[in-house]
Amino acid sequence: MIEIDRVTKKFGRKTVLKDVTFTVEKGRITCLIGLNGAGKSTLLKAIMGLMPVSRGQIRIDGQPVSEHLYEKVAFVPDTLTMPPFMTVENCLRFMRDFYDNWNEERAAYLLSFFKLQPADRISSLSKGNAAKLNLLLGLALDTDYLLMDEPFSGIDMFSREQIASVFTSELIEDRGVLLTTHEIDEIEHLIDKAVLLDQGRVIREFWCEEIREKEGKSVMDVMREVYHP
Amino acid sequence: MTERDDFAAPAFNHRDPVYLQVVRHFKIGIATGRLSAGQTVPSRRELAAMMKINPNTAQRAYREMEDQGLIVTEGNAPSRITTDEKVLGAIREELITEAIDNFIDSVRQIGVPINELLEKIRSRYESKTAEDKGASS
Repeated sequence: MIEIDRVTKKFGRKTVLKDVTFTVEKGRITCLIGLNGAGKSTLLKAIMGLMPVSRGQIRIDGQPVSEHLYEKVAFVPDTLTMPPFMTVENCLRFMRDFYDNWNEERAAYLLSFFKLQPADRISSLSKGNAAKLNLLLGLALDTDYLLMDEPFSGIDMFSREQIASVFTSELIEDRGVLLTTHEIDEIEHLIDKAVLLDQGRVIREFWCEEIREKEGKSVMDVMREVYHP
Repeated sequence: MTERDDFAAPAFNHRDPVYLQVVRHFKIGIATGRLSAGQTVPSRRELAAMMKINPNTAQRAYREMEDQGLIVTEGNAPSRITTDEKVLGAIREELITEAIDNFIDSVRQIGVPINELLEKIRSRYESKTAEDKGASS
């Protein structure tokens, strides 16, 4: 379990995360929902130890964040961070050399599943293919947790469907997934838990099936209740 | 062998629990004969992939169906649709009652006398059936 415990983050006088508390369970898909600027990406970076927090604690399986974290948690940022001159093949080799928990077999499977060409240069990839490669690099790591920043943003519907199918497969089974999005509609029925973030605060945290069963509401309905733009 | 198409994804609405929508989809399949008694059902993983749902939801749907006696599992064999006539009959009854209740709810607001309504249903049903026959031949 990833525990985010009263995390506060300030940039100068501006508070971007305020007493944020929630959990990410193994074997569950948790979705961090918020409008642009709500603090979603900041929070993912904080979990990854890429940014110190001002107050509060983040624990992974009970342990505070340390350098061993990268064997347990993979992070898929919102853009591909590999240099443009590299080929897809180069990227995979880089990952293999760099990470002990790189799973070659799964990487090969994903390469063909996403129909990516090993010889293609990063600079020549379409947005959709760049997003798929980005996801591949995270998914092929044998980690217990997977964080993804806006995996569905800015790509065509067929690529989105293909990426969504990852969430219904054994590729993420038994792992704890935390993803962010600002467009929940298409993936409503895929996620287990929703955490609504607004101006750096958690305003709701709930299990999606439970809210449907008890209140007959969709995640969108709850969002309409709590956000007042 | 199970045909993949038998378990194709229904269009999910966002307000009813997804697992119950899956259960309902199975019930309709059984009532319409698309799924047959004793037929093997996909594994939890396969079902998740076919219906494009979370594996946890597939698991929960199967648990619910086991509880309702819709599917049965013996030992390590793959689960099957029940062959229990009582359960199968009850599914058909349930779906019919549900459809009629929905119909009554909407038609009652208009306030049609029951005899007129029954007459209209009969004539509508017959003309629709004839239309479908005409379209398919």
